[in-house]
Amino acid sequence: MERLAVNRLRERLPLDGPTIDRFVGRYGCPIIEGERATFLYRGDVDEVWVRHRVVGLPDPLPLKRIGESDLWAVTTVLPEGSRVEYQIEIRKGEHYERFNDPLNPRLAHSPMGSSSVCAAIGYRVPEWVAHDPEARPGTLVEEQVHSKALRRDQPVQIYLPARFNRAQRYPLLVVHDGTDYLQFAAMKTVLDNLIHRLDVDPLVAVFVPPRDRLKEYPNHAPHARFIARELVPLLTERLPLVDTPEARCLMGSSFGGIASLSTAVRYPGFFGSLMLQSASLVFTDIGFDHGGGPAFDPVVKFVNRFREKPSAVVDRLFMSCGVYEPLITPNRSMVPVFRHAGMTVRYTESRDGHNWENWRDRLGDGLAWLFPGPQKFVYE
Amino acid sequence: MSTTILLGPQRFTTTVGATVRSLGVTGRIAMVNSGWEERESDDGELAGHLDGRGVNLRLHHRMMDVLTKDQHFAAAAVAFRDRMDELRAFYGIRLQAAIDAVHAVSHRTSIHAVGPIAEESAMEAVREVDRWYAAELDELYGSVRATAPLDESGTIGWHRGEIGALLAECEAVVIAGGNVRTLLRTLRVFDVTFGPEQSVVAWSAGAMALTDEVVLFHDFTPHGVDAAELHDRGVGRLPGIVALPHAKRRLLLDDHERMSVLARRFAEHRLLLLDDGAVVRFPDGATELPAGARFIDRTGHVSVVGVA
Repeated sequence: MERLAVNRLRERLPLDGPTIDRFVGRYGCPIIEGERATFLYRGDVDEVWVRHRVVGLPDPLPLKRIGESDLWAVTTVLPEGSRVEYQIEIRKGEHYERFNDPLNPRLAHSPMGSSSVCAAIGYRVPEWVAHDPEARPGTLVEEQVHSKALRRDQPVQIYLPARFNRAQRYPLLVVHDGTDYLQFAAMKTVLDNLIHRLDVDPLVAVFVPPRDRLKEYPNHAPHARFIARELVPLLTERLPLVDTPEARCLMGSSFGGIASLSTAVRYPGFFGSLMLQSASLVFTDIGFDHGGGPAFDPVVKFVNRFREKPSAVVDRLFMSCGVYEPLITPNRSMVPVFRHAGMTVRYTESRDGHNWENWRDRLGDGLAWLFPGPQKFVYE
Repeated sequence: MSTTILLGPQRFTTTVGATVRSLGVTGRIAMVNSGWEERESDDGELAGHLDGRGVNLRLHHRMMDVLTKDQHFAAAAVAFRDRMDELRAFYGIRLQAAIDAVHAVSHRTSIHAVGPIAEESAMEAVREVDRWYAAELDELYGSVRATAPLDESGTIGWHRGEIGALLAECEAVVIAGGNVRTLLRTLRVFDVTFGPEQSVVAWSAGAMALTDEVVLFHDFTPHGVDAAELHDRGVGRLPGIVALPHAKRRLLLDDHERMSVLARRFAEHRLLLLDDGAVVRFPDGATELPAGARFIDRTGHVSVVGVA
């Protein structure tokens, strides 16, 4: 294997500014060489770290100064297909600062802000993520739905597929954290493209944002009542939906996964399928020391109770989780529980973390499995 | 008697123009491309291949017109589609389980010669599921004919008259691909029939529509029922043939076990492969596969008619 670029650079000590400029200009950052990633930082600081949340790698990951120069570097293993979100943290005297990698233009966005992205060899953004001018766009309709259960008007956005026709019937997908899925997972574009490519059946999706997420998503009766007894019946009355459990799916990521599962548990048989992305399926086998903080208390209570008496609340369950996120172990652990309960489970893992682009990249697999498109009918 | 020609897909290897010219047709040519659905009117390229002699029957457009103007038919059509979708869902569950059983049985070691008997029995169970689906579908058609007879719709009748007049002026017909469900529905609702002297050139979904049993298939479809599915009856101009367009792209042709199951399942039919560049001629009303046609034989291998 060829020596790493940064090691070849080290042979040229001492380094002057123009040499470093040329090196950074040529290789960019991070430098991906086979299954190795080299992170760089340039500046007059006392310490530098890569901050990430990859389970299995040290976090923070310290960079070392190269010679006496202002260039810092660290090389880490990064298996093929990996995608890691990270930031740079520096210390200068007593001053600490954390920011996106100034040498890396590639960013990912989330409700918490942005992060730099390190994509390993073999990682590709799915082609159905980008706008396809050939794909007819569906429409998003904003509405306020009055909820007695939640005692408020709940905003929702309803996706109607291209060529929406009242003489047709459509399945329904209820999306928790709906606004975030639209904003950070490009879900409208993804739906437009997957439907256009015949991978996914034309469907109606309702994007539902939470108001108080930590209260409403972990097994909250009013939230479940709103979804199952108010929102779905309202949409079924107003839109040409297939009015059977098989055609109703709940989806969500992280706490949104718990909101989906707990709603299905409260209304068993009403929904036919679930799509859980990195669901916060934290549980304990003994005691209650789950380590997730108070926000996870109702989650752990709910998951523990489900594990005690698992039941097939839906027919089909798509689960995905990133292998670099702490939730990988509980997600893996729950797959056999769901299967033994009688649900058909499709479970996929990715070399990614707990983030929106990971969830976006899994939409193709999940939606095509839950709502198989009409490919078999089309012979051009 | 007329000639029927099935072609391979026309997207990358366009042979329809040369094929129609080879028929010596001098008059107008009816174009059926309702499988393209809302793109039906984007027929400029196809018309160009027909030297400007093409007459689009606009069956999809007419169907939309009927659904708009004839509320009784529209309601019956929705009810029919809902029931057919449900039937297909149950058929898919039963079919997949039956096909899985065939593969499971065929992989089981048999010491006392039970294996082949069990496998044939499992195959018969698949055929029984197909027969059940076909019978239920017939019943469904019967019930929709009883509740909303097509002959009683003034709008449909008007369109049928116009289509008949247009067709009568044409020497030949070309039927393009697209959504085979839509194509079949339009052909059926408007009772499109071709005269004994009219030659027909068809490809992809169009080729499937000319047979008597339309079988849906896609071994590379990511999800859903991966077994080939009986869909509907075609217009029956080429009985005894299951047309398999895009075979190389849609079938696991190297999986001989899988292909053998497909061939034995439709044992009374020839499984005709229609890949890019294929030209399969049925002259003078013939329905037998001509020499040179490629098909899947009972062993699951690709064979060529006339080649030992």
